[in-house]
Amino acid sequence: MISLYVGSTSGYSGKSLVSMGIGLKMKRDGFKVGYFKPVGILPIKVENILTDKDAWFIYRVFELKDHLAEVCPVVLTQELTFKSYLKDVKGLIRKIEKSFNQLSQDKDIMVVGGSGSIYSWGALGISGLKVIKRLNLKALIVVKYEGEFGVDYILQAKKDLGNNFIGVIFNKVTHEFRQSIDDYIVPFLKRKGIDVMGILPHDSLVGSITVEELNEMLSGKVLCCHDRLNNLIERFLIGAMQVDRASEYFKMTKNNAVIVGGDRADIQLSAIESGTECLVLTGELYPSELIISRAEQKNIPIIVVRDDTYTIAKKVEKLSTRLRLRDKTKVARGTELVINNVNFSLLYKKLGI
Amino acid sequence: MLDNFFNPQTIAVIGASRTSGKVGHDILKNLIQYGYQGAIYPINPEAPEILGLKAYPSILDVPGQIGLAVIAVPPKSVLEVVVQCGNKGIDSAVIITAGFKESGLEGTKLEDELVRKAKESGVRFIGPNCLGIIDSHSRINASFAKGMPEKGNIGFFSQSGALGIAVLDLALSEGIGLSKFVSMGNKADISDEEIMLALSEDDNTKVILGYIEGIRDGKKFVEIASQVSKKKPLIILKSGITSSGIKAASSHTGALAGREISFDAAFKQSGVIRAQTVGELFNYALAFANQPLPQGPNVAIITNSGGPGILAADACDKLGLQLVPLHKDIVDKLRSFLPPYASFYNPVDILGDATAERYEKALYTVVQDDKVNAILVLLTPTAVVDVEGTAKVIANISHIIDKPVLTSFMGKKSVEAGTKILMKYNVPNYSYPEHAVSSLNTMFKYNLWIKKHEEVYPTFNNAREKVRDTFECLNNEKREHLRESEVYEVLDAYGFLQPKSLLARTPEEAVAAAKGIGYPVVMKILSPHVIHKSDIGGVRMNINSKKEVENAFFDITTRVRHVVPNAHINGVMIQEMISGGKEVIIGITKDAQFGHMVMFGLGGIYVEVLKDVSFRIVPLSKDDAHEMIRETKVFPLLRGVRGEAEADIEAIENSLLILSQMALDFPQIIEAEINPLLVKKRGEGVVAIDARFIIGGD
Repeated sequence: MISLYVGSTSGYSGKSLVSMGIGLKMKRDGFKVGYFKPVGILPIKVENILTDKDAWFIYRVFELKDHLAEVCPVVLTQELTFKSYLKDVKGLIRKIEKSFNQLSQDKDIMVVGGSGSIYSWGALGISGLKVIKRLNLKALIVVKYEGEFGVDYILQAKKDLGNNFIGVIFNKVTHEFRQSIDDYIVPFLKRKGIDVMGILPHDSLVGSITVEELNEMLSGKVLCCHDRLNNLIERFLIGAMQVDRASEYFKMTKNNAVIVGGDRADIQLSAIESGTECLVLTGELYPSELIISRAEQKNIPIIVVRDDTYTIAKKVEKLSTRLRLRDKTKVARGTELVINNVNFSLLYKKLGI
Repeated sequence: MLDNFFNPQTIAVIGASRTSGKVGHDILKNLIQYGYQGAIYPINPEAPEILGLKAYPSILDVPGQIGLAVIAVPPKSVLEVVVQCGNKGIDSAVIITAGFKESGLEGTKLEDELVRKAKESGVRFIGPNCLGIIDSHSRINASFAKGMPEKGNIGFFSQSGALGIAVLDLALSEGIGLSKFVSMGNKADISDEEIMLALSEDDNTKVILGYIEGIRDGKKFVEIASQVSKKKPLIILKSGITSSGIKAASSHTGALAGREISFDAAFKQSGVIRAQTVGELFNYALAFANQPLPQGPNVAIITNSGGPGILAADACDKLGLQLVPLHKDIVDKLRSFLPPYASFYNPVDILGDATAERYEKALYTVVQDDKVNAILVLLTPTAVVDVEGTAKVIANISHIIDKPVLTSFMGKKSVEAGTKILMKYNVPNYSYPEHAVSSLNTMFKYNLWIKKHEEVYPTFNNAREKVRDTFECLNNEKREHLRESEVYEVLDAYGFLQPKSLLARTPEEAVAAAKGIGYPVVMKILSPHVIHKSDIGGVRMNINSKKEVENAFFDITTRVRHVVPNAHINGVMIQEMISGGKEVIIGITKDAQFGHMVMFGLGGIYVEVLKDVSFRIVPLSKDDAHEMIRETKVFPLLRGVRGEAEADIEAIENSLLILSQMALDFPQIIEAEINPLLVKKRGEGVVAIDARFIIGGD
C-alpha cells in the first residue's frame, strides 16, 4: 500500500481539488484508491455520523464504501475545540492512526487530505506534519502561488518533512505569475532538489461560486428566481458608477454578480438588462416591484443583504479564497485541470509505483 | 420682537440702483410704490438721486436714525456694509445679496465671516440670498417680488425664494390676503424659530404658513413650534428627501428611521400641521384664516346633488370625521319646507332645482342642531341654481354663527361669480369636496391639539445609577455593542421581564441547562462576532428533548463556524421559551437633527417590508406613547380580533416611556432595540425576548 498526503503551507490552496484530481486519475489507471482526512474543519452529520463536508464530498466522488466515521476521525466541532483547549483531550493522534490503518487495509493507494497548513492544529497534537511522520506518508505540497515569498515556506516544509517530502504543485497560477514561476521558481527549486510536479493555471470556473452558496455566506435573503440558485458566479462587480457607464461596465465581464446599494434602482435595472447572474442588494433595502418583476422575466436572482457595499465587497474578497468544490461542472473542470497539468509519471516514480 | 423688520420708522436701501431690472432698483421701487409711509434712503456712492429720492453715498452719511437696512450690494461688500450698519446704530437688516453658502466653499467662508461681523456689530439679519420681506399692514414691500399681496391674516415664511414668488403670485390672483411674507434665504442669522415666534406674537397674523427644506436645530424647532402652535395654527410644507441613502443599518430600528420619519414625528409632537403639497398649504390656510375651529368631529353636509354629497361623506369617513345623524326636530323642520323627494338626513340633499332661498333655509335649519360642529355646503352648477344668490346667503349665515362653514362650489366658469363672493366674505371655497373635508379635518385635529391637557412626562429614576458603570465600561473599552450579559443587566435594571437563560459551552452543559430551565427551550448562539443571530441560522426555537438540544448545539455552532470563519463562540444560550402573546418591536434610534426617537412597530421578520412603525422624539409624554401605538396597523391586532383577548397595551406604553427614559439617561445610545417584545394578555405584562444596544459618540 502506498499513501500520498496532500498538504500545503497555507489554507485554501486547493488541496481538495488536487486530492480529487490525483485520486480519480489513479482510479482510472486501475488502482484501488482510498481517501482519508485526519482532521476535518467543516463538521457535518450524515445519517447521524459526524464527519467533514469536504471528506464526505470526496468520499462520494471516489465512490467509497468504507465506514464513514473512519474517513475523518477527528472533526473540530465547537465541543471538541472547547474541550481540547480548556480540558486537554488525549488520544486524538491514536484515533487517527487507528482509522487510517483500518481504511488502508484493502487499498492500493491511500490519498490523505490535509486541513489548513501542515502546521495547523499542532496545538492539539494533530498537525499534518505529525500525522505524516507518525503514519510515514509521502507528502506533496500544494502552493497557491501569490509571489516569491511563497518559496521560503516550501523550503521550510522540505526541511521539516525530510524524506517524506516528494514535491510541489503550484495552483491558481495567473498568467501574469506563470512567467515568474517558469523563469525563476522552477529552476531555483530544481537547484535545491525540489521537484515541481505540476503547475495548475487559475481557472475562473473552478473559482466560481453558486448563487446559493453566495447567499449563505452573505446571510442574505433571496427575493426571486429560486430556481436559478445554481447560477455560477465567476466575478463580482460593484455598481457605484454613473448609470450611463454602468451597462458597458457590466457587459465587459461574463458571469458576474453585481453588488449595489438597495436604493440604486437605476444601476439595478442596468445590471439586469446587461444579463448579470445575480444582483446583491446591500443595506437591507428592498427593491421596488418593478425591479423584481424585471429580474423574474430575465431569470436573475436577487439577494438582499444587511451589510453595506464595502463590507460585502470585503466578504466576497475573502470568499474567493475559501471556495469549496461542490458543483459537478466545477469538479469535472477541476479534475481535468489536474490531469492535464500534473506530471503523473514523475509522481508515480516518486511514489514508487 | 423683530420690530424693526416689520415696523421701522425709516428704511435704507443699500445698493439702490438707477437701472430698472436691477434688484437694488426693484426693491426701492416696491417700497415707494406700495405706500411705505416712513422715510426711505437710497444708498449709492455714485447717484445723487434715485426714483425721485435723495440718495446718499454711504449709510453713515444719512442724517438721523435708520430702522431697517435692506442690503443688495455685491457679496464682497456685504461685510463692510454690515459693519457700517452697526456703526450707524442699525440693529436690523435684510440681506438680499446671493453668493454665500449656496455658492460653494468660498461663499461658505464669507457667510461665516458675515455672521461673526454682524454679531460684533449688533446687527440681526434675515438672509442672505433671499427675496426680501413684505408686511401688508405696515405697507412695507422690501422685496423684489412682483406685486403686493392684499391685506390679510396669513403670515408666510419660506426657505425657497422661488416658491415664495409663486405663492405670492397665487395669493394675488386668488385674492388671498397675507399679513407678512418673509423670504428666509440661507437663514444664517435669523432662524425659522425666531420668525415663527415673531409671527405668533403679531396681532395681524392669525395663521402661520411655512415652507422649509431643512432645519438647523431639531430640539429647538420642536420647543418653539410647540409654543407657537398652541397660540396659532402653524402649517408647514416640508420638502422631503425621499431616498434613504445607502446606509448600513445595523438594526431594524435604524433601517426604518429616516429624515422624513423624524420630521413627521417632530411635527406631530409639536402640533405642526403638515401640508404635503402647495395646494394643501393654501387649502388649510384658507380654512384657518377665515373660519372658527369646529368643536367636534360632527359634520353636516348640504348639497344640491347626490354624487358630490357621497364623495364628501366618503372623505369624512376616511379621515375620521362623523356624518352625525340630525336631530328629529331638525329633520322635521327640513321636511316642512323641502320637496318630499329631498333627502332630510345627513347628507341633506336639497335637489338640483334648489334655489338660494332653499339653501338658506336648509343651512339655517341644520346649523341649529347642537350636535353639528361644522357644515359643508356643496353646489353643482345646475341650470336653475342661482350661484351668486346662494353664495350671498351662505356668507350671511356664516357671519352670524360660531361654527365653521366651508363650501365646495364645483366647477369653474359657471361658479366663478359665486366663489368670488364667498372669498370676499371669508367663506373658504374649494373646487373639490375632498379638499374641503381634509381642511375641515385639519381644523378639527388642531382644535384637539390646543385643547389638549398639559402633557405628562413620566420619569423612571431608579435605573440609571444601577447600570451607569456598565455604560462607562463600554466607553472605556471603545466597544460599540453591549454584550449579552450587559443587555440582560440593563433591561433588568429598567424593569423589563426577560426569559430565564443560561450559557452552555458544551452539549452536556446545554442539556443540563435545558433541564434546569424546563422544556421547551430556545437556543441562540452567543458570539461577539455575531450580531444578527437569526440571519445566520444561529437561533433554534421550540427545542423539546435532550437529543434535540444536542443536535441544535451542533447545528448552531457549526453554522456559525462555517459562515463567520474564526468567529469566537462563547457558547449557546439556553433560554426559556415563552409562548402565547403577540410580538412587537420597540426601539431607540438617534436622529442627527432631533436626537433620540423611540420606535414602536409590528414585530417579526416582516417588519422592514411592511414598515408598520411609528416614531416619537424623546422625551415621550404619556400621550405620545398612547398615540404611537394607535397609529399603527398593529393596533387592532393588539386589541384582539375575533374574540381574542386584548393584549397588554398599557404595558407596551410603559415600555416605550421607559425607553425614552433610557435614552435620556444614556445619550450615548445610538440604537437600541427590543425585538421581539412579547406582549401578553391585558394585565400580564410584556417580556423582552431579545435585545441589542449600539453605543457610540457623546
